[in-house]
Amino acid sequence: MDKRLHKIALIEVVVLLVLWQLLAMLQWIPEYLSSPAVIGKELLAMVMSGDLFSNAAASLYRSLLGFLLVAVVGIVLGIAAGYFKPIGVFFTPIVDVLNPVPKIALLPILMVWFGISDTTRVLLIFLTAFFPCFIATQDGVHGVKQVYVWAAQNMGASRIQILWKIILPAALPKIFDGLRVSLGLTFVMLFSSEMIGSSNGLGLGFMILTADMAGRTDLMFVSIFVIALLGFLFDRILLAVRARLLWWSENRG
Amino acid sequence: MSTQTPAIDIEKLRKVYTRGKEEVTAIQEISLQIPEGKFVSIVGPSGCGKSTFLHIVGGFIPKSTGTVRIRGKEVDKPGPDRGMMFQESALFPWKNVYDNVAWGLEVQGVEKAKRDEIVEHYLKLVHLWDFRNNLPSELSGGMKQRISLARVLAFNPDVLLMDEPFGALDAQTREKMQVELQRIWQESNKSVMFVTHDIDEAVFLSDIVVVFSGRPAVIKEIIEIDFARPRQLDVHKTQEFMDIRNHIWDLLHQEHSKSGEDEF
Repeated sequence: MDKRLHKIALIEVVVLLVLWQLLAMLQWIPEYLSSPAVIGKELLAMVMSGDLFSNAAASLYRSLLGFLLVAVVGIVLGIAAGYFKPIGVFFTPIVDVLNPVPKIALLPILMVWFGISDTTRVLLIFLTAFFPCFIATQDGVHGVKQVYVWAAQNMGASRIQILWKIILPAALPKIFDGLRVSLGLTFVMLFSSEMIGSSNGLGLGFMILTADMAGRTDLMFVSIFVIALLGFLFDRILLAVRARLLWWSENRG
Repeated sequence: MSTQTPAIDIEKLRKVYTRGKEEVTAIQEISLQIPEGKFVSIVGPSGCGKSTFLHIVGGFIPKSTGTVRIRGKEVDKPGPDRGMMFQESALFPWKNVYDNVAWGLEVQGVEKAKRDEIVEHYLKLVHLWDFRNNLPSELSGGMKQRISLARVLAFNPDVLLMDEPFGALDAQTREKMQVELQRIWQESNKSVMFVTHDIDEAVFLSDIVVVFSGRPAVIKEIIEIDFARPRQLDVHKTQEFMDIRNHIWDLLHQEHSKSGEDEF
C-alpha cells in the first residue's frame, strides 16, 4: 500500500514535469515560466560552480538554527505551560494575541534592534515557527489521558517522574505534529527573512531576488526548486526521527 | 496491627460538586467498613456515584467531608497502599507488558533482581508471561485488563480498588475474567472493593454486596453472600443465587422507578 502510494506520487511529479516541458517547447506558455530542461541546465551549472552549495548552506544554517531554537524553547515552554497551571495562565494571553500577528510585520522592529543581520533573520524565523510548536505541545500535555497520570500516582510516582516518564512520552505524538508544522514554516520564512539586505549576501532567498532583478526567471526557479527539495528532505528526516521515537505508537507514520 | 482494624474504613463520606452556582450532591453520606481479605462489590443505578466513591477512596478525587482509612491510616491522596484498576486500560502504550508491570516497582526503588522476580511471578499468575515483550496495543481487551491486574498486584497494595474493570469486555470474556479474578484474588488474599453495574458479576464474585441508592448516594442494603469457594460458573443456576440476584434487581429498580425520568 505504502509502496504503491510512493509510485503514484513519483508518476504524478514526472507527468507534471513532462507536461510543463511540452507546453514550453510548443511555446504555449510565456517564456518567463521557463521550462524544466532550462532550469535543470542552470541547476547543474550552479552545482558545478559551487554557487548553489554556499547559498544553500547559508540559508539552511539560518533555517535550522531557527528550527532548533523553536524545538527547544517551544517544547520546554509548551510542557511547562501545559503541566504547571500558573505558567499556562501566564502564557495564554500572550500566545493568543501574538499567534495571529504576521511576524514579518515585526521585521522593522527587529531591524532597529539587531540591524540587517543573521540575528534578525533567525529571530524572524523563530518567531514565526514558535507558535505551532508551543501550542501543539501544550495541547499534547493537556490531552494526556487522566488514567495514565492516576496510574502513575497510584504507584507512588513523584511529580517530576510523572512529567518525564508519563507526560512527555504520552504528549510526544502531538509534539511531533507541531514540530512538523514549525519545520515547514522555517523553510517558508527562509525566503522572507532574506528579503532584507539582499544583493551582497548569501542565501537561496537572495538568489531569487537577484535573479528577479536580472529578469532571470530560470534562476529563480532553480532557487525555488532547491528550497522545495531541502524542505522535503528535512521533513522526511523529521518523520524518520518521529518513527524512531514513536515506535510504540499506532500512528507513527 | 490488630486484626480488628478494617482494611478499608469509610466514615461519613460526603461529596458535593459545584457546577457554576449550583451545588450537586453526588454522595449524601456513606459509612462502610471492609474487613481484611473480603471481596466487596458496590452496585447501584448508573450515575449514582459509585465510581466517584471508589475514586475518592483511591485518593484521585477530593472528598467534601468524612474520612477514609486504610488499615487505620487516614488517606487523602493516591498511594501504593491502594491498587486501583480503571475501567479503561491505563497501561502505558509506550512500554511493553514487562516494563508496564516493572515501572511501578522501579518508582518505589525496588532493586532490579527483585523487580524481575516480582514481575515474572505476577505475569505468570495472570498467565501472560509469554506476552511480556508485547506492546499493550497488541493485546485484546481481556488480556490488557489481566496485565493491569498484574501491574497493580505487583506493587503489593493493602487493598484492591476495581472500577468496572470488565465493563468494556464481551459477555463470554467477562465470565472468564470473573473466574480468573476469583482464582487470583484467592491466591493473593487481598481485600477488594469492586464497583460494577452487573448484578450477576457482583453476586458471583463477592462476599459482600453493597447496594447504593440513586444520586445522591446512600447505602440501601448490605447483603452477605456465602457460596463456597472457589465458585463455579454454574452457581448462577442455583435457586439461592437467583433469589439474591432478584432481590438486588428489585432494590435497583425501585430506584429506577423513583428517579428514572432523567436516567436515559
